[in-house]
Amino acid sequence: MEIRRKLLNHFLAALAYRTQKALRDAPADFGSFRAADGVRTPAELVRHMASVLGYARTFFVGGKYWPEPLDSLAEEVQRFHENLGFLAQYLRNGDPLREGMTEERLLQGPFSDAMTHAGQLALLRRLAGAPVPPENFIVAEIKEERLGPDQAEPVSPDKVWPEAPDGWKP
Amino acid sequence: MNFDKRELLRHTVATLAYRGGKAVANAPEGFDQFHANDSTRTPGQILAHIGDLLDWVLSIARGKQAWNNSTPLPWPEEIARFFAALEAFDSYLASDEPLHAPEEKLFQGPVADALTHVGQIAMLRRVAGGPIKGENYFGAEIEVGRVGSDQSANRIEFD
Repeated sequence: MEIRRKLLNHFLAALAYRTQKALRDAPADFGSFRAADGVRTPAELVRHMASVLGYARTFFVGGKYWPEPLDSLAEEVQRFHENLGFLAQYLRNGDPLREGMTEERLLQGPFSDAMTHAGQLALLRRLAGAPVPPENFIVAEIKEERLGPDQAEPVSPDKVWPEAPDGWKP
Repeated sequence: MNFDKRELLRHTVATLAYRGGKAVANAPEGFDQFHANDSTRTPGQILAHIGDLLDWVLSIARGKQAWNNSTPLPWPEEIARFFAALEAFDSYLASDEPLHAPEEKLFQGPVADALTHVGQIAMLRRVAGGPIKGENYFGAEIEVGRVGSDQSANRIEFD
């Protein structure tokens, strides 16, 4: 695989990992949590993440992408990971990009968009009263071929978490 | 040294400058102190943490890893620190000096972290009632090496 595309695939794997990190052990009703008027719920946010990745797909396969809302957060998450998998496969295949698109623009546009939204999911966890435990991501087990919902547990979770909820144990 | 990967990492750093700059620009008065609830960090604390992450990634790249939890500065100074840290890291990436960690690790750790926190500041802008505009970032004028506060004003924005 071309070396820049290999790094882009690593970006997608990091996105899969961080999204699952933000969703792991979330409260059952987290998908519909509304932090404030005009702020997307987690389900809406994941759908938007799938949408920007689906838009990115159109630069490989053409057409348009406009995902309809699904019934549950779990289904939204599944679709998000499917789109990650499609993109990674196109990159691995060496499929050409259309309409003047470049790897750099994929990175600065939809891929980075989705990464910022993964951070927003984590913020919503905190606002919903169920924060995500911190870890050292630099040693996290992030693998290019691991793009689905089944992501590794943290290699190096923080031992100290000043804002931890009651009952948290490292 | 892998120049292709290093250049793409620099492009990510430029993306962080562009997106981060947008998230912090023209924030409402007092936004840096905004507390969405008792357990969330303020935007000022998040931006200080981003600065710490950028200092950290440079220290890793240099082979002398060092972490520091900084105290948030006044908002304009923290913004200046953000861009200064980006410029220091980008300058190192642009140099012939060796990277003491793989590009993938630098990306998956502190750089991706910083991007997620930029997203959080953007969301807090909305919660605080001072949202930033949406944008088609595909077409944004993001260039390797352009990592200071002087980002392109030629944008495709929407409400």
